[in-house]
Amino acid sequence: MVFLGLFRESILFALNALVVNKLRTFLSLLGITIGIFAIITVFTITDSLEQNLRKSVQSLGDDVVFVEKWPWTFGPDYPWWKYINRPLPDYTELDNILRKCDGAQSAAFTINANITVKYKSSSIENVTLVCASHQYDKVKNFEIAEGRYFTDIESSAGRPVAIIGDVLAHSLFPFQSVLGQFIKVNGAKVMVIGVFKKEGESILGGSNDTQVLVPVQYARSLIDIRSENLDPVIMVRAKKGITNDELIDELTGLMRSIRKLHPMADDNFALNQTSLISNQFDSLFDIVGVAGWIIGGFSILVGGFGIANIMFVSVKERTNIIGVQKSLGAKNYFILLQFIFESVFLSLIGGVIGLLIVYVITVTAGDTFGMEITLSRSNIILGFTISILIGLVSGFIPAYGASQLDPVEAIRAN
Amino acid sequence: MESAIRKRPLLITIICIIGFIWIVFSLPAVFSPSVKKLGDWYPALFGLIVASSFIAYIGVWNMKRWGCSLFIITFFIKEILLVLINDINYVGIVVSVFIISVMVAFYKRMDMNL
Repeated sequence: MVFLGLFRESILFALNALVVNKLRTFLSLLGITIGIFAIITVFTITDSLEQNLRKSVQSLGDDVVFVEKWPWTFGPDYPWWKYINRPLPDYTELDNILRKCDGAQSAAFTINANITVKYKSSSIENVTLVCASHQYDKVKNFEIAEGRYFTDIESSAGRPVAIIGDVLAHSLFPFQSVLGQFIKVNGAKVMVIGVFKKEGESILGGSNDTQVLVPVQYARSLIDIRSENLDPVIMVRAKKGITNDELIDELTGLMRSIRKLHPMADDNFALNQTSLISNQFDSLFDIVGVAGWIIGGFSILVGGFGIANIMFVSVKERTNIIGVQKSLGAKNYFILLQFIFESVFLSLIGGVIGLLIVYVITVTAGDTFGMEITLSRSNIILGFTISILIGLVSGFIPAYGASQLDPVEAIRAN
Repeated sequence: MESAIRKRPLLITIICIIGFIWIVFSLPAVFSPSVKKLGDWYPALFGLIVASSFIAYIGVWNMKRWGCSLFIITFFIKEILLVLINDINYVGIVVSVFIISVMVAFYKRMDMNL
């Protein structure tokens, strides 16, 4: 009980010392504020970017293999002159994959084009037109907020129907229901039967919000679907229990037989998967994280030295008071705790201010850049931990020195 | 007489200097991305261990028994934590046991008070 009373009293002494020397308190906690701000900002940005990237990659599907002309990863010995002569994935190859690939749960052929969409006097340029075969909804992860997906007949007969993105729906039809309305895609009338659920900016691009999805059979009447500029892809989703590697092995054999490749000939197609992207970004984020840690670490170290310095000054300044306290019966640990609390509070206040600045920045930057930036729980814990740790380490030596002072000499000190 | 008993042996001085240098390098490692990846609370736990080790070294530097006791307690907590995350460092254990043996050897010459 006595200890608790002394504990409380030492906290009050520490707080009083901070309140009395406002300017000194403010200047010394600035170092920690800047340090915490620097390190937590870097960690928050890298964490948020990583989270957004993973979300984008996940929307592509981590169990989906993409049959394409070009590989996604480029090595230093990238033989582009070989790849440039490769044939493009073809709609007929999709049929073969659907019939013969045992490991495939579903597959879809897609092409992309840039078009202008019109409704009455409203017009939007540079809209991505995605032309896809029927099983697109089974290989691509998306949700439909309003309306429905294409029926089998609409897909196979190539009916002029479309599902449009949330941004397009709100821009073209701000005051009316979008379903059943006709928009003009490259001059052709297309009926809107669905609206994608809003998903926000994607770090990899290709957000559904600004897309128009039509059946690929219908797209034949709008564009030349054999054009190389349309980036044709066959997306194949693995069955449950089949790994991507197993699916890739099977697809390799199947594509070679479809394209009638000689046993000694190189593959003339690329089988890509999302892990190729995430692996590339993992190493990048590791480097950014370490760089941020080094920069922030130095700031924190400087802040710690600042607090240690101010604590030595504080002890020197209050030597007489320490002497009086000790002569009146104050224990060594009472003096020790008093100064440790002072330095921990100082550091903690600096840390809290740093975290608050980061929080304000995440809110404003998130709105400005249209990207979700969040100050995570782990970064808040880290900010508090660093603050307390720096306060404890930098304040202990001055505090211990104060606790060991001889009361008679301390009272006599000027 | 008392100061003669509590005069810091050379071996303790060397151990403490090496310990302080180790702390300087360990402090930034507490909030390194690799520790952060282990879990939300691991930087806090490792931070506590580094801070305790630092305080223990100050105690031992001043030839205080509480420094030695705090170092031993910190050593056990640290090893339990490393076992939990499956990152046992046998060289680290040997070095720590050596340091503890040296501290214990001079334990009787240390001061009981704070």
